[in-house]
This record gives sequence, C-alpha cells and structure tokens, in this order.
Amino acid sequence: MSDSPQPINLNPDTPTEIAYRARRARRRWCIAALLVLIALYLAWWFLPSVPEEHLEIKSHFAYGSIGSDNPERGLPYWIWKVLPRMFPDYLPNPNEPGYTSFGFLHEPLADRPIGFSKRRVRGVDFVGINCAACHVSDYRESKGALPRIVLGMPAQGLDLQGFFRFLFKCASDGRFTVSAVMAEIDRETQLGTIERLMYKNLIVPGFREGVLSQKQKVAYWDKLPPNGPGRIDTFGPYAALFFNLPPSDSAGAADFPALWNQRPREGMNLHWDGNNDSVFERNYSASFGAGATPTTIDEPRLARVANWVLDAGPPPFPADKLDQKLADRGKPVYAQHCASCHDWKGEYVGKVDPIDKIGTDRNRLDSFSETLQKSMNTIGEGYPWRFTHFKKTNGYANTPLDGLWLKAPYLHNGSVPTLTDLLKPPAQRPKTFHRGYDVYDWENAGFLTNVAEENGRRYPLFDTAAQGNGNGGHAYGTQLPDEDKRALIEYLKTL
Amino acid sequence: MSAAEKTLDSTSFSHEQDREVIFQPIEFPSGLKVKNRLFRSSISGTFDDYNGHGGNARLNWEEQFARGGIGAIISSFVPVAVSGRILTRYATIDDDDKIPFWRLVGERVQAHGARFILQLSHSGRQQDMGGIENLFRTVGSSTSRKDFFHGILCHAMTRTEIKTVVNQFAQGARRAREAGLDGVELHGANGYLITQFLSSGINDRQDEYGGSVENRARFVLEIVRAIRAEVGRDFHLQMKINAVDHNDWLYPRWLPFGLGEKPGNTLDDTIAICRILEDGGKGVNAFHVSSGSTFPHPRNPPGDFPVKDALRWYDGMLSSGVRARLNDWIFNHRPSAALFRRLWIKRRGPLIEGINAQFARAIRPHVAVPVLVTGGFQHASVIAAVIRQGWCDGVTIARPLIANPDLPKILQNQNGPGPGKECTYCNKCLINDLENPLGCYELSRYDGTTFEEKYQAMLKSVMSVYSPPASARLKFAPEPSRTPAAVAVAPAAAASSPTGRVQP
Repeated sequence: MSDSPQPINLNPDTPTEIAYRARRARRRWCIAALLVLIALYLAWWFLPSVPEEHLEIKSHFAYGSIGSDNPERGLPYWIWKVLPRMFPDYLPNPNEPGYTSFGFLHEPLADRPIGFSKRRVRGVDFVGINCAACHVSDYRESKGALPRIVLGMPAQGLDLQGFFRFLFKCASDGRFTVSAVMAEIDRETQLGTIERLMYKNLIVPGFREGVLSQKQKVAYWDKLPPNGPGRIDTFGPYAALFFNLPPSDSAGAADFPALWNQRPREGMNLHWDGNNDSVFERNYSASFGAGATPTTIDEPRLARVANWVLDAGPPPFPADKLDQKLADRGKPVYAQHCASCHDWKGEYVGKVDPIDKIGTDRNRLDSFSETLQKSMNTIGEGYPWRFTHFKKTNGYANTPLDGLWLKAPYLHNGSVPTLTDLLKPPAQRPKTFHRGYDVYDWENAGFLTNVAEENGRRYPLFDTAAQGNGNGGHAYGTQLPDEDKRALIEYLKTL
Repeated sequence: MSAAEKTLDSTSFSHEQDREVIFQPIEFPSGLKVKNRLFRSSISGTFDDYNGHGGNARLNWEEQFARGGIGAIISSFVPVAVSGRILTRYATIDDDDKIPFWRLVGERVQAHGARFILQLSHSGRQQDMGGIENLFRTVGSSTSRKDFFHGILCHAMTRTEIKTVVNQFAQGARRAREAGLDGVELHGANGYLITQFLSSGINDRQDEYGGSVENRARFVLEIVRAIRAEVGRDFHLQMKINAVDHNDWLYPRWLPFGLGEKPGNTLDDTIAICRILEDGGKGVNAFHVSSGSTFPHPRNPPGDFPVKDALRWYDGMLSSGVRARLNDWIFNHRPSAALFRRLWIKRRGPLIEGINAQFARAIRPHVAVPVLVTGGFQHASVIAAVIRQGWCDGVTIARPLIANPDLPKILQNQNGPGPGKECTYCNKCLINDLENPLGCYELSRYDGTTFEEKYQAMLKSVMSVYSPPASARLKFAPEPSRTPAAVAVAPAAAASSPTGRVQP
C-alpha cells in the first residue's frame, strides 16, 4: 500500500476561488463575531431581567435583589438617584442630601444605601427595597462613637412612610417635568441612546403616573398619625394596593421586627398578631410588601436570604457594659416571670395571647381584618407557593427574646422606649419620647429618647396618646421589687 | 488648459489647410514612412482561435481600416506569451507558428498602402479573462498586490521570470519582422505589465526593478535593448506610454485599511522614462502617448461608462478577480451604478477629443523622436491643430474608426463624420468586447426609424467583420493518411491492449 500513488485532486480551486473562499470565511467569522457581540450587548441590556449580583451573603442581604426592583413597583434608578437633588426641600434633613435623610444607612463608597437592590430590566436599571431596608440598623455606643451596623436588626431609625411621602411630593410637584428630570439625569450620567429614549418617553412619565396612583390609594394615611421612624403599617397597604379594600379605621403601624434565628421560629405564630405560622409565607408576603410581585419575585435570591436568616443571630450585648453577676441573679427571675411565654422552650412561646389578657394597644390587631385575611390567602393563585396559612387571631403572639437589647423600643407598636420603662406599670411609662435616635442607653436597655435633633436630623416625638400608639398592657414584671427588676433587665440584655 | 482648448476649437484654418497637415507623410528615425498622420490605435476584438492563432475575422477587421485610408494600423493587443493575454481569442505572437498569420494580416493591410505595426503586449496582473491555460496560476507582475479594479491576483516576478518575459518580447519583435510587418509597439501604457513596472503607484519592488524612475524603467529598457539586439536598429520600434498614471482614480489614497492607491507617475516621471527609452538614439523610434494606469480608465478610452452593458457583459469577469463581484453588485444596483458612472465622468474631466494632447505637447520637446497621441480624435480641425502646433506628429484613433472605418476618407472631404454618425464615446464597444464581436453598438448612429430597424442595421455592421467568411478563403489539400480503414483499426487496437490503455 505504501507505494500507491497519492490521489490527485481533479477538481481543485483556482487561486481566485481560493481567495474568494478565504475572504468569505473571514467575512463570515467577522459577521458571526459581530452578531455574537451584538447579541451579548442586547442580552446584557435588554434581556428581561439582570439583577446586580452579590457573592457574599451579607452583601447580598444588604444590597441584593428579592424582585422588588421591577418596572411595575420598583423605582427607575436614575430618577431615584436625582430626586433628592431636584427636591431637597422635601427632605426631612437639609444637612443630608440623600436618602439617609430618611434613616437609610449608607456605607462609604456604596452606590446606594443599604436596603436598595438594583436590577436591569429591558435595558433600564430599577431599584427596589429588599429585606435589609427594614431589617438593618445601627447603634452607637455614645454620641461620639461610630455607628455599628447590625444586619437583621429592626430599622428603628428608618422613616419608610416618610420616604414614600417624599416620592409622592416629588411626583406631585410642578417642577417634576420630563425635561427637568432628563436635564438632571444628564448632569449625573450619560445615558445610552436607547435608554435615554426610554427614559424620556416611557420611564419618566410612567414613574409619575405610577407614584401618583399609589399616592391616591394610600390617601388614608393622612387620617392616621404618622408611622414615624422604625415602624410600618404592614397590612394596610396590602389592603389598599393589592386588594383595593377600603382602609381600616385602625392605625396598624407597628415596629419593624428583627430578622434573626428564623429556623426555631418555624411553626410559631409570626407577625405581631401571629396571623401566619409559616416562615416561608411570611418571607414572601414581606417581599410583596417591599414591592415584589408574584411574577417578579426573585425566588432563588430570596431563598438565599431566607436560608441565611435561618441561623443568623444578633450580636451579643457588649461584655464591658454588662454586670454579669447582676445578670446571673436575674436569670431565675426571668425563668419565673418571662420564660413560659418568651423562652425558646417556653410553653406559650410563639402562641397568641388574647388581647384581653395581654392588654396592649389593639389597633394593629384590628387592622388585619377577616376580609383581608381571606384576601391574603388568595395571593399566589396558580403558583405552587400560594398562601394558605393566613388566619385571623384575637391577640398578639409571644415572641422569643433573642437580641432583645436591640429590639427597642418595645411592645409591637414601639410605645415603650426601654426595658426599664417596660417593667414600670403602664401609667408610669413615658407618655412621649423621641424615637429613632441611635445612641444606646446602656443602663436602661434601649435608645436614648431625649434627643430631638442632631446635625439637622430630627427625632420625632412619639405620643402614646395618638391612635395606635398606646403603651398600656403587658404589665408582667411591673410589680417586681426594684432589685429583681434591675437583675432581670441585666439578664434580658444577654439574650 | 484654456490655451489648449482655444487651439483645439480653432476654426481659423480652412479644411483644405487642415487636410494638408493631416495627410502629410511622416518618416520615423527607423526609416518607416507613413502616408499620413492618422494611425489606427490598438483595439482588439475576440476574433481569433482560442489558442492564439489568428482568425479570418481579424483579416477582415484590419483590412477595413486600411481600405478606409488609414496611414498605419497598430495591431490588436498581441500577447508575447499565453500567460500574458488579457482575453481569450486574441491572436498571439508567442510562437513562430503564428508568423504566417501575421504575415497574412500585414500583406492585406499593406496592399492598401497602409503600414502595420504589431503591438507587443503582456497583461501582467491586468489579465481580465486568462482562459483555461491560466486558470490555475497567478500571473506575474511587478507586485504581488492584486489589481485594484477587478481584484485580479498576481505575483511579483522573479528575476528569472523577468528574463524570460524580456526574451518573449524580443522574440515577438523578431517574429513581427519575419512576418514582414512594418514595426512593433511596446504596450507600456494603460496598466499592462510594462506600466506595472513603470508606475510608482503599482511597482512596490525593493530590488533593482523598483524604486527610482531608472529602476522602474529597467525592465522595459531591457526589453528595448533585447529587441534591438534581435531585430537591429532599422526596424521600427515605438513605445506606448502613460503620460500620467492617475492610479488613484477609483480608490483614492486617503481610504482606510490599505484600500487607497497611490497616484502613480507624474508627467516629469514620464519624460524621464522617455529619455531613458531613447537610449541615446539606439532605443525607441516614437512615443505613443496615452494616460491612465488601468484599462479601462476614465481617461482611456475617454467617454461614458455604459452601466447597462457592463451589467450584461461583465459577468464573465466574476471568476477572474476577487473584486469583480463587488463591481458587478455596483453595476447591478441603480444608485451605486449611477454613482460609479458619475465618478467615472468626473475623473475623466470635461475634455474627450484630444484629452492627452497637452501631455504630448509637454513630452515632445524633451524627446528626439516623433510623438503620437491618442484620445478621441475624429475631427480634422482638432487633429490638424495639434499637429500644426507641434504638440505631436500624428494621432492615433480607435473608437471613431470602429464607428467609421473610413474616417480618413471622410476627413479628406470634411471636418468630421456627418450628423448622427460621429463616435459618441459611449464605450459600448469596449464593454461588448468582453463577450461579443467588437463593433459599434451605439444604436443612435444607425439608420432606421424604429428600434428594430436600427438594431438590424447595427447587427449588420457588427457582423460584417465575418464577411467574407473563412470558408470562402480556405482551400484544403487532400489528406491521404485519413482513410476509412485507419479509423476502423483504432478501437480494435485499444480493445486488444492488455492494460486497456492505448499503447503509444
């Protein structure tokens, strides 16, 4: 076989044909490469939804998406960015030109405050609020100390309602015109041609329309006392925005809860009134409250957060501020007077105590009506996760006391500033106090309440006489001797 | 330019005075005498056998001009080698076996008192349709850069190849002399091989054949000397040369990605080359001035660009050059075709008749030999003017002679062809030559009142080149060897061969 002649190509190409073919091949490669580049570009800019990714779980918790950064209920990034500069007169603190004015926390060099996620949807960036908006806060050891940011802690300084009112004011203002907004955006950035066209023709007019329509739906806010910092009316907006139900007469504002140790909470009655015993449904309903919708909710990214908060816990009370011996003495007092309802192993923990027994303000309880409960269980129709666990209760749930020292002010409506005050008979508890200040009261376990203003930031006066703000009830331990009270407080700090 | 235009438009001389100038004989330093100042410029026609042997139509073709009173005919593009052809079916002079045909042509032309000068040519990279002999090889050039118009591939010739080609030119001249022809012309213009060496816009060689004017002229000087060595000093040798290359007419220098072309030779370059080629009196005996470093070129043949005809007849080029499809696309789309035509006309400029006369005027004082010039001549007043002014010694004419083969006779009697009979410079002849018989395809020139009448008249004119037909002239001697018995044996022999192959 080795000496068989080489086969002859009887139909070779001419030099011209070879050159033509080579050029065609080159051209095809160029076109293919170009198409791939264009496709990648279009994919990057225009595929339905590309959230900003955060590999590290804590930064995902702080800045990552749960699906509220959608065109329907999220905020167009550049409008959101320029609004504080366009309407500084509507910001509560003229010394703080950005959203920190409302109590959002802004880490140095970060693109945006904690609690805002970002997502590119069909070529336009949107921001939305995530879990961290309401479940991250800070405390300061003293006035001169740097703030310590605590993930999962109730955002006791955040005036979320104030933030929404700010958006309403901006959109209602005559100065909010397409040309004014575009001019402001152009000062900030150089939008791509397509994105700019979208902003000019769709996004800016759409934003105004959307915000004004929401403003109209929550017009009932004006009839109720303002939520103030650290509080939210969880279910009122549900009724108004999701179900178009008539607003409740009750003032449903309650404190943001902490988001720690969710694993042992599974099966407990969650929310202040204990209206749902599924951590999963609680997570999803909170996400909808933040602006996600059943179609936009980012299940895998929400699951990352949900998974992390199963075991993430509060920071311990600083040892140097604690009288350990005193705390040790408080332990049996706790066991005797608190543990059955509030200890992880307590018989009644996670269970609802009737309102008549507990005696605290009933506005929050009443704000969740039976109609609303039935409506809540229609959310997610057609989805495998459809809500089924919402129920109407007649009281408030006994919550575990993990990280209690950072959960001040106390009771569901934040009407009692410190643990010391909580152990006072209701009549002796402070009638008014300033909320939202972040310097810690190491003695009484809570935040200092005597500061009305610092660096232009105002800490509104909380009036326990206003509707929904009542500080009565939960008289447990109020009759203890002072010594026991001090020991109990010291012990509670360690939880 | 205004002086030239004034002169060319001059009517201050009577037709008799013009006629006297035009029909004055001329004698070249080689001793060649031509009866008047009118030369048929080189124009080809695909009239011949595919393998380069001349055909009957070529005899008819050339004879019609001699009959029409022309002083001398410069032949078709005659390749000195098959590898240097531009189109198939052009008679070649690559072998001694072509001598008898050219002798026949010479005799028929000379019988009318006209001279016949054979144009020794080589395509170089401007090989429009090289034919099957050249299908699988690229053609030699001074450069390896493809021809920019059609994108025809080429390779830079080695010194050995140069030597071979120089000798092919010399042998071509020898064959022309042996055929009894009156002289030869080197086709050193319009982008063919010799231009490719001469032009600073095309020649990118780093060796002794590239760079300076002297180096670029080395190749053609070697040809001139080789021819002189082969045919002696009394055989007429003239050189067709570009006065100016305008090599950047289609792809201007500023284009990106290396697409731009350099402008090429200036008039000063050309004058220097001419002086070199005179070779101290031992070189060429005349210069034939043209311009434009490609063929075709807006300046040569100067006129229109018939886009519709290009679309019809350019398709044969598609397999030849890697830019042919682009050109075809351009011709095939109205906006691009219109743009191309506008560019073509803009690059040419407003002047057609006498377009190169100023160049001849510039060259003639610097050379000792007569200067001929080409470019649209068809009026006695213009021809006489350029000769009378001393800008040139004679004019060469191609397309106006295709339109009116008896143009010299017309010019004897009047200033030019009658109304409607002039060459319109439409260049349809040029484009049709790619696939059809060479002739005048301008219907407006033909008699008739309907399209059909005019078209029939055109066909009659174009096809007249085939009359008389070959069969009227051929005589066959009996061939005793081709007997029926011999034919019958062959298949049997093949069948009996053990290998199944015919034994030698």
